[in-house]
Amino acid sequence: MSDQETRRVARDEHGPRATFEEIEIGKDLGALEWTVQLDEIATQIALDDDPHPWFTGDSPFGGTIAPPQLAYRPPRWLLSRNYNVRGLLYKWEFENLLPLRPGMRLTVKGRITDKWIKAEREFVAYEAWGENEAGERVFHTRRVQILDVIKRTVPREGAGVDSGVKKERIA
Amino acid sequence: MNLEPGAALPPVAKQLSLEMFRQGGARTIHNDYEAARQEGLPAPVAVGPQVAALLFKMMRQCFGAGWVVGGRIALTFRRPVYVTERVAAEGRVTRVEPEGGKRRVHCEVWVANAQGERAIVGEASGLVD
Repeated sequence: MSDQETRRVARDEHGPRATFEEIEIGKDLGALEWTVQLDEIATQIALDDDPHPWFTGDSPFGGTIAPPQLAYRPPRWLLSRNYNVRGLLYKWEFENLLPLRPGMRLTVKGRITDKWIKAEREFVAYEAWGENEAGERVFHTRRVQILDVIKRTVPREGAGVDSGVKKERIA
Repeated sequence: MNLEPGAALPPVAKQLSLEMFRQGGARTIHNDYEAARQEGLPAPVAVGPQVAALLFKMMRQCFGAGWVVGGRIALTFRRPVYVTERVAAEGRVTRVEPEGGKRRVHCEVWVANAQGERAIVGEASGLVD
């Protein structure tokens, strides 16, 4: 066992890390309201180095649209509102059903769908979807998060530097 | 663009750097060696969705509006990508099916590092007229 695997982080500035046992299959993650902002689109373009003209000007959909992957973070915010988890993204599915547009107001909802242990690592699956004001589904996503890279047999202890970026703003 | 079964999708490559993953002053596993070490990682790892974005760019370039509406993807992140790696998104068409008056083009996709190791693998599809 290397030095870096002698403990799993137990807490960070947001409080105790959620444990595998605390995560409840079927739990409703609630809902959050998200309005797509022009500056969020600009940030996503910069992050992805993809300045396609549809993201800043007109598009075949009539007006500016956002990169579909802009919808990654709101479901993650929903998970973080319920459970203080870090770890790494293991699986990510999504379907683009309608274009995201600046000024669009969405309600994002989600739920925990499964959890399991494999090779002494803890996995949590959740799904989320976003609906526009007309109640139309704009995107749907399913994800699996591995809670810790370090095996679950290693005890939780002490505080971690990484508290995540919990600000619910794409910046 | 050739979107028949067997056709290769045009790759999208990028050299990553730690600077790409700075988030204000926040120290995270994506930009800080101590934070990464505490979480069992030997070095900061790239933000998964930012690496996967190479695939989204590739799919948008291939399918245009048929990716923005109707695009689907299912990815597995098999191993971490470290923040100093050079990575490339690639793919190839596996099959084509009719769907609602259009054609859905299914692709095998992946992101590999400079050694050819596939860090992200999966399937993606888009619609064409």
